[in-house]
Amino acid sequence: MIRRLLRSRGMVKFRRNRLALFASGVIGLYAAIFVAIIGMEIYDGIAQAVGGEAKFSLREGTRIRVLPRQTPGFLESQTPSERYNDIRWHHQRMERIFDRDLESMDDPWVQAFNELDLAERKLQRAELGEILARWEAFDEAFLVLDDLYLERDDMLDLVGSIRDEIADLRGDLRGAEASEAEEIRGEIAALEEELAPEVEYLAEVEPEFFAQEEIARGALLELMPMPTGWEGVKYGFRTFLGSDVSGRSIACRAFYSIKVAFQIGFVVAGISVLIGTVLGAAGAFYAGWVDAIVMWLVTTLSSVPYLVLLVVLAYMFTGSTLFDNPREYPELQLVKLYTAMGLAFWIGTARVIRGEVMKIKELEYVQAATAIGFGRVYILLRHVVPNTAHIMFINFSLLFIGAIKSEVILSFLGLGVSGQPSWGTMISLAKDDLSNYFFWEIGSASFLLFVLVLAFNIVSDALQDAFDPRHVS
Amino acid sequence: MWAFILRKLLYNIPVYLSIIFLMMLALRVQNPVYAYLGKNPDQQQYDELSRQMGLDDSFPVQYVKFVGKVVTGDFSENSWAQRGRSVKDILVKSIPPSLSVTVPTLFTSVVVSVAIALLSAYYRGRPVDQTLMVLAVLGMSISYLVYIIFGQFFFAGLPAAEGAWTPFAIQGYEPWMPIGPQAEQARLINWVTYCLLPVIIGVVVAMGYDTRFYRAVMVEESSRDYIVTAAAKGASKRKIIFVHMLKNAMIPVITRVMSSLPFLITGSILIEMYFGIPGMGFQLINAITAKDFPVIQSYVALFAAIFILSVILTDVLYALVDPRVRLS
Amino acid sequence: MTDHGMTMTKARPEHAGGEPVLSVRHLTTSFRTDAGSVTAVDDVSFDLMQGETLGIVGESGCGKTVTSKSIMRLLPDHVTTYGRETEVMFEGVNLARASARHMRSVRGDKIAMIFQEPMTSLNPVFTIGWQLDEALKYHTDLGRRERRDRGIEMLRLVEIPNPEERYKEYPHQLSGGMRQRVMIAIALCCEPDVLIADEPTTALDVTIQAQILDLMNGLKEKLSTAIMLITHDLGVVAQVCDRVMVMYAGRVIEEGPVIEIFHRAQHPYTKALLESIPKRGNKTRGKKLATIPGIVPSLTNLPPGCRFEDRCPFSDGTRCRTEEPALEQGPDDRPVRCHYPLGSDRERPARVTVSAEPTAQEAQD
Repeated sequence: MIRRLLRSRGMVKFRRNRLALFASGVIGLYAAIFVAIIGMEIYDGIAQAVGGEAKFSLREGTRIRVLPRQTPGFLESQTPSERYNDIRWHHQRMERIFDRDLESMDDPWVQAFNELDLAERKLQRAELGEILARWEAFDEAFLVLDDLYLERDDMLDLVGSIRDEIADLRGDLRGAEASEAEEIRGEIAALEEELAPEVEYLAEVEPEFFAQEEIARGALLELMPMPTGWEGVKYGFRTFLGSDVSGRSIACRAFYSIKVAFQIGFVVAGISVLIGTVLGAAGAFYAGWVDAIVMWLVTTLSSVPYLVLLVVLAYMFTGSTLFDNPREYPELQLVKLYTAMGLAFWIGTARVIRGEVMKIKELEYVQAATAIGFGRVYILLRHVVPNTAHIMFINFSLLFIGAIKSEVILSFLGLGVSGQPSWGTMISLAKDDLSNYFFWEIGSASFLLFVLVLAFNIVSDALQDAFDPRHVS
Repeated sequence: MWAFILRKLLYNIPVYLSIIFLMMLALRVQNPVYAYLGKNPDQQQYDELSRQMGLDDSFPVQYVKFVGKVVTGDFSENSWAQRGRSVKDILVKSIPPSLSVTVPTLFTSVVVSVAIALLSAYYRGRPVDQTLMVLAVLGMSISYLVYIIFGQFFFAGLPAAEGAWTPFAIQGYEPWMPIGPQAEQARLINWVTYCLLPVIIGVVVAMGYDTRFYRAVMVEESSRDYIVTAAAKGASKRKIIFVHMLKNAMIPVITRVMSSLPFLITGSILIEMYFGIPGMGFQLINAITAKDFPVIQSYVALFAAIFILSVILTDVLYALVDPRVRLS
Repeated sequence: MTDHGMTMTKARPEHAGGEPVLSVRHLTTSFRTDAGSVTAVDDVSFDLMQGETLGIVGESGCGKTVTSKSIMRLLPDHVTTYGRETEVMFEGVNLARASARHMRSVRGDKIAMIFQEPMTSLNPVFTIGWQLDEALKYHTDLGRRERRDRGIEMLRLVEIPNPEERYKEYPHQLSGGMRQRVMIAIALCCEPDVLIADEPTTALDVTIQAQILDLMNGLKEKLSTAIMLITHDLGVVAQVCDRVMVMYAGRVIEEGPVIEIFHRAQHPYTKALLESIPKRGNKTRGKKLATIPGIVPSLTNLPPGCRFEDRCPFSDGTRCRTEEPALEQGPDDRPVRCHYPLGSDRERPARVTVSAEPTAQEAQD
């Protein structure tokens, strides 16, 4: 049956649409990532079950700190202030550790230094004495840097305020009369005199500051170098999209969300199409009171706006202890979501399938099959339902993407995923970042979501174009 | 015509009753009082709230009582979460804000989408059409939430932070209608300040889907036989599209518009939450978060009623436009 | 047919005997499709004389509808191209190259067209009266009352009972036969010089078919309209046509007066068509219905030689396969596209024929 589908004329037409093929490739890419993540988690699960260690710890990876908070991603260069804050952040963390009594510890690596780990970026291994020496160097360098920073900062403020004053006066000058003008010009001159040495001083301080910054950074890298080789690649991946408000890797979270999205999509679409097809086909085929019940259910459930329905269903599930532990059993959290969405989504499929089955029911081959004496269930399953396969397929893909989009909205309303990252949670968390002009988190999540939805739209368009003769391109 | 409407009404009454039935059942899956007060409530409070909502009666009794309330429009019980306000008060006050946003959105998006779709269908296959459709697909692929967040940020939040001028407020709502209960505080400009941005966002979001759908409808109608007949009579392209095709295309358009009628009043929940507009959706979400049972129950009953009415309205409008339906 | 006094509003220019109303030369219509360029009508030429009925006959897909729509320029512009030498001369203007504006003034007023499916050819949301009124509004200066009167008069002319009532009704309230009459009324209300009828009776049952054909005949006489009748039904051709043009796979393969075609068909295809008409009579009892084996070639995959060759019982197997015959004067002094027209003296090796061979006489029952 699959082979017949692939060789059909519709498929040929589809293949000729290069854009659709490209979009399918994109979806395939996402799917591959999904499979990979699932694979790695299963591996971990098995490894842990047999008493060993988890090798990948992907979900952990979305939780650990990798950078200072709200570090931007790969394109942005940082201002001197931001770079300074970076170094200071590192310094503060290390200070907490190095202030402890390290020499009396049995294994300082396990008891203290581990806490400094930023994923692959760790304290460089060496003798304790060597480490302490490096720390001294860094500490000293930082203190000097700190002073220089404050000085530079003050200078910049001073110069800035004088310049502002001058600008104001110049503004006054324009509207002033002759007598005043003299006075104002005098003031300006005085200020400019004041300004000159400050600017000169600043011109000296700045290079010193930058130089010291180099030194401090160097010392920092001695202590805690950037990872190289394979580790370097991994760390690079983690950081290339920056970090969110808690310092977590945006890239990790955004890509992990692919797994969450696909999971939700598959399960919800699967359940909905299944229920919808069964109920719709049964209703149309058996007619009578079966149909009455199905239609009653459909009308009733669709009388409430979809979002309201979801929200009410969510309300129904509150207060149940089964769902109260998101960190440990995040999968269970999703069940809430699955149920709510499944119950809301099956309606559309049921309607369409019901309509189609009613048409098919009247066709000759069904009547012929009945005349031969096949049982009704047999006819339903063997003859009728396979002819609705194309509808089921299209509905599945529509609901798949619909579920993913709904998750975003539900997460925003607080009714969605918890315990795992997902695009919805990322976007709702990140919306406050915007006021700091930090676009990385919301941008990454939105972008990945956008590409997936776009690809789906293109592919489903192309599929309809290829297979449905009445479709308008 | 009136027989038609009456028939529809009568048919839908049992449907509505069954909706109420299901809904009431669903809301009582968990004891609402426990949900609201927590697992170990004060016995006196429990009794009081139970009695107030008639929850100590058996379900059939509750059902009948509630239906009675809906029919007579009696929503005088008090909200649990919002002290001192009756459900009716909350309900009624929340309608104008919802309408202030959804009615303009619906109207504008239909007009704009139909216009763009007409343009596309007229120039079918040419660059104008192709560009528009590409834009539509791109527009469709952006999440609603993203539109809201960025829209609010760029048009209200950012200018406010930078000190630049913008006509839009970031959040909130103030009455603007010169009639009704809040007329004294109302100023017409309030609508622009609080509602215009949500409306614009709503229209932009809807445009992607709607334009494509209407265009498809129009193109399908354009390939019908009667169009060829009209051309054979010597009608100009403009006449063909705007007279012959449009009237036929309006039928599916109306169906679609009507089917979104419930959303007209229920309000877009997201928009209301995000922009702090105290409409029906907003109140509902708050009620659900606060487990405010009376409010939830009444709202769902109201929504269902609106839905049924809009279904009937759709059928009636259909009959008005399509002569084939009228006489059946 | 009863005679109704009709107000003639148009003075018809007298065509000097022998001068055609419509003259088509080298009509070639190609479409741009996903599979490349497809030529649906290939070098078709014919004349239409005033007051005559020309039948265009052929299987589905032979290009007859495309021919008629090409004359009216009703094909979608962005995928249709006409041949460089194509000339559709009407009133001194080449319609294939005319402006859209000119076409609009010609359509409905000078050349009218009716279609196969009366069910769907009328706009369902407007009344019959409105649709009649529309045609009159475009092409005449009549006032509203006059248009209404004329519309009702037309309905009466096409023998619709109670025309005043029908004027206000919607298409779906009428039967198929009625609708087709309405179509004819709309087509003729501006008294066109040419009426193109594309399979007007195919969708109707036989009794109605006879009535409609009678109607068309009568109207033709009264208004001296030239009719181009497109059909696949040779019975219809026999009933109403003066001349006939047979098409196959986009080409004209034979043309001539009806009597001659029916009695002395010269192209094997025409002959086969005639033979395939079911006949009554003792001689035919127990015999199988004659058919033409094979199918029409796909327009994207045309053979280099004669397009009918693979189904032709008279193909010589060589020249017929490699060289497409040109349209030349055959033995009866009328055009035929065949290397070995039947009835000519040309020698050819005959292949085994499959069907029984009744005479051409019997074929015209």
